[in-house]
Amino acid sequence: MISVQQLTKGFDDLRRGWVAALDHVSFDVQPGEIFGLLGPNGAGKTTCLRILSTVLRPSSGTATVSGFDVVTHPTEVRKRIGFMSNNTGIYDRMTAWEMAEYYGRLYGLPEDVLQSRLEQLFDTLQMNDFRDTLGAKMSTGMKQKASIARAMVHDPPVIIFDEPTCGLDVLVARKVLAIVQSLKDQGKCIIFSTHIMREVEKLCDRIAIIHKGAILAIGTLPELQEQHQQPDTEELFFDLIERYDQQNQPSAAGFAPVAG
Amino acid sequence: MNWLTVKLIFLREVRDQFRDRRTLFMIAVLPLLLYPAMGIGMLQMTLLFSEQPRTVVILGEKHLPPPQLLEGDKFVSNWFNNPADSDKLNVVTDTLVELGGGGLNASRNRMLIEQARAIRERIEQHTAIDADVKQAESAQRERMKTPAGPSDKSLAVLQERIGQLRAKQVTIDHELMDLFASSQIQVLIVVPDGLKENIERVNRLLVERDNSHVAGVSYPRPTIVKNRADDKSVVAYARVREVLEAWEEEILRQRLSAAELPQELTRPVGSAPLDLAAEEQISANVWSKMFPALLVIMAVTGAFYPAVDVAAGEKERGTMETLLICPATRTEIVLGKFFTVMCFSMSTALLNLLSIGATGQYMLSVAGGMGRGALAHAGVITLPTAPALAWLLILLIPLSAFFSAMCLALATFARSSKEGQYYLTPLLMVSIGLTVFCLSPAVEIYPVHQASWFYSVMPVVNIALLLKALLLNPGNTGALIFAAPVLATSIGYSLLALWWAIEQFSSEGVLFRDGERFEVGLWLKHLLREKEPTPTFTEAGFCFVIIMLAQFVSMRAFGQSIASATPDEMGMQMMKLMVIQQLAIIACPALFMALILTTSVRQSLRLWLPNWKFVAIAALLPFVLHPLSLELMASLQWFFPQLPDGATRLLRAMGDGEQSLPLILIALAVAPAVCEELAFRGFILTGFNRNGRTRVAIGLSALAFGAMHMIPQQVFNATLLGIVLGLIALRSNSLLPGVIFHFLFNSLAVMRERVSVRIADGHAEEFRQSFWHWFATLGDGGLRYTWLTLVISGVAAAMCLWWVWQSGRAKPTPEAVNNLFASGLAPAQQHSTCVT
Repeated sequence: MISVQQLTKGFDDLRRGWVAALDHVSFDVQPGEIFGLLGPNGAGKTTCLRILSTVLRPSSGTATVSGFDVVTHPTEVRKRIGFMSNNTGIYDRMTAWEMAEYYGRLYGLPEDVLQSRLEQLFDTLQMNDFRDTLGAKMSTGMKQKASIARAMVHDPPVIIFDEPTCGLDVLVARKVLAIVQSLKDQGKCIIFSTHIMREVEKLCDRIAIIHKGAILAIGTLPELQEQHQQPDTEELFFDLIERYDQQNQPSAAGFAPVAG
Repeated sequence: MNWLTVKLIFLREVRDQFRDRRTLFMIAVLPLLLYPAMGIGMLQMTLLFSEQPRTVVILGEKHLPPPQLLEGDKFVSNWFNNPADSDKLNVVTDTLVELGGGGLNASRNRMLIEQARAIRERIEQHTAIDADVKQAESAQRERMKTPAGPSDKSLAVLQERIGQLRAKQVTIDHELMDLFASSQIQVLIVVPDGLKENIERVNRLLVERDNSHVAGVSYPRPTIVKNRADDKSVVAYARVREVLEAWEEEILRQRLSAAELPQELTRPVGSAPLDLAAEEQISANVWSKMFPALLVIMAVTGAFYPAVDVAAGEKERGTMETLLICPATRTEIVLGKFFTVMCFSMSTALLNLLSIGATGQYMLSVAGGMGRGALAHAGVITLPTAPALAWLLILLIPLSAFFSAMCLALATFARSSKEGQYYLTPLLMVSIGLTVFCLSPAVEIYPVHQASWFYSVMPVVNIALLLKALLLNPGNTGALIFAAPVLATSIGYSLLALWWAIEQFSSEGVLFRDGERFEVGLWLKHLLREKEPTPTFTEAGFCFVIIMLAQFVSMRAFGQSIASATPDEMGMQMMKLMVIQQLAIIACPALFMALILTTSVRQSLRLWLPNWKFVAIAALLPFVLHPLSLELMASLQWFFPQLPDGATRLLRAMGDGEQSLPLILIALAVAPAVCEELAFRGFILTGFNRNGRTRVAIGLSALAFGAMHMIPQQVFNATLLGIVLGLIALRSNSLLPGVIFHFLFNSLAVMRERVSVRIADGHAEEFRQSFWHWFATLGDGGLRYTWLTLVISGVAAAMCLWWVWQSGRAKPTPEAVNNLFASGLAPAQQHSTCVT
């Protein structure tokens, strides 16, 4: 469903010079699978997801979604993905219903399909009590739900969650995770980026630990634990990052050489 | 492109804007409430101020001659154009005070008269000193006539006395000023003793036809004291003058009729104005001055806020990313937003104009009806006619489109609404500057003007000027012929601006600019540390800006040094300056920037040896392009404004046989060929070509090359040549063919001037019979090429250019590899090359 090969993205930074935000990253995600991208802030998670959602172009390497290349067929890719970012992307001066409807129309859904789809979404997400509330007046939880409704309106086979629980209280976060789980059960192909270990342990079928643009380890959680003889996820994570930073100490002045 | 998507985005944005309080304020509240409120406020203030009566003091009232000037404490009302104005001046006279009159104001009047007398005393002292000084000066002149000798001493004494007198006068003047300023008198009239008798004496002499005595009559005249720096005094003085002039005219009339002389005696010419302006025309004149300026300012203001909101605002609120991920293409998104901005720009402009027009008309009619104040002279203003309004609507469309696209592109570049407002302020300033330019009566779109066609293609200015002409007279065929070019170019500019906005929207660098702190020091360090083999796009643009700025700064210095040269040296001086200018202003920035900012000067400036074929083509092309360019420019002469003085002089110097040819060639061919190529086909083109878009790079570098030439004719010509030169430079990946082309092309222009002069100078007949006559004839402006030459040149030029365009297209030149780096395809490799 999603295939990422040797994906690299560099940009020019005032302080550090040329920086590789992504450094030859490769992974695959299958339908009905939740793939976790686990990494600290600034590891390159968002850059990777933005390339997958076609808003950034890779410097080199390829990424395909449902067989369509993100560089050569961006429109086809966009039709097949739902993207939810941590800053919910809610219009202040639009109601929840209007916004989901607007995006449904942008995706070209026929009007009757759209209306029934919206009713269904608002029912399952329990959004009917704030369907006519303006974005500016919504609570964070409402915004998150509205954002999910927007991302799901065209029923995409691939869904990308970029730190969806960031800044949410425990109750709302739990609901969001439940929604992600139910989407998986519907057979969606899901990428889930986070820096919270608990979420990964709970949700993800496979994970990739990403740091400074490079994937340090990839596999199912038990596999990784066995491989590195570290039963605790948190310790595993810190070990990997520490080891990587030690190895790359000499070239700390700016650019991290290829590690994959 | 799917128009349904555009419509969808448009409708959402419009609804969004209508839910925004700021937008509603700008387009509805401001025009519908603010202007009328301002109008009423202004009207009330003018009424309030004109109600205040001013104080005029007259000393020596009993010496005033008939007819009666005063009536109680007012001037007689029939001396005013508008009799009601009489109430606006209170007159206090010494006679009145002496009689104990003035009622409630008696004590104030006494004080005023005392103040007036003190002032009169100073005036008399001032006059007395004047007389003394005059006397002393004439004595001094007398002494100076006699030969120098013992009288030297007395001269010095006299000089000293004059100095003392003057110093005393200055003190008196200061006292006078202080006295007048501290008094409550706005105007003081001092009537000298015996004025009445003196006037009567002259009248008598005239009746008796005693001309010899009339000529010799001289008597003291009244003095009117006012203070020009004080508004109250100015207003009062204007009224006093009006009264005194009318009154004096009556005295003159009585004098003439008593002496049985004709009334027209004092007006030997007596011309009378005949005003043909109909009422609507007066109105049209007012509108044609007001509306174009307002339209431009309102269109840009109306585009400003929505543009910031739909572009920068969307980024700021974090909704941009989700919008970009939906299947709508960038073009569709930009168009949807563009139409929204345009819609608001147009409605803001129209509502504002409507409101200002209505308020203005109402105010003028109120003021006119009351017959008060300066506004009364404007008369009753009618609204513009229907055809004029139709033109206003038509021209508003491209104007709004242009501003909307510009604002959208600039606002897209910004990270936040606040930043967007900073970027858009310069646009607003430039628009205001342009409207001020258009307001000048000398600037007109009209066939009489040489510059008209040029104005008609200038953005914004063209619309404002056409509207100005059409509001004055909608059936103005003279102006209507400009409608086509104005509309066509305006739509062209709008499309360009829109293209730029779409470009901005497609650039991830612009859309995802991170909010890191910017520090100049850090940036400079970064610039020097992270040098790349070739310049970036920004560095190339900056190089161009430096060249333009240096040119602007040096213009004055160069102009002065040319102006100070003698006519003989002028040509020589000009040539020297040309070389200096080329070296210092054009070559230096490019060379230094290449040295400091890039790692490979050679690659940045294209210092490679080219394929010999390109050299051959570059040597051939000037010969076929020269006739084409010359005839094109000649046939477009009507289009451009007249050449400025400096350029004409330079042209003359080129053909001047007295100047040595090698010198002229060095100044006009060698120096530009080397320096301009280094800058424009070297540094700037390489930078522009970094992202691998050949056509954009060639176009931009050609435009920069053109803009550098300043004079419209040359800008046009140089831009076209810039395209050819850019193409050659990119395809050959060498500076050399361009230098050769540039040198030959400029040399040909010089040679043509000289040969023309030579032939015209006695060889005309010989030339007419020669074989060359098939190719060129001798015209007014020197040699002109025949159709035969043009056809041959055209075919040859097309073939050469086609060959250049085709060659090296697919080959991976060093450029192409470089582009690979630039687009970030291989940052890893790039770094390994940098670091190791």
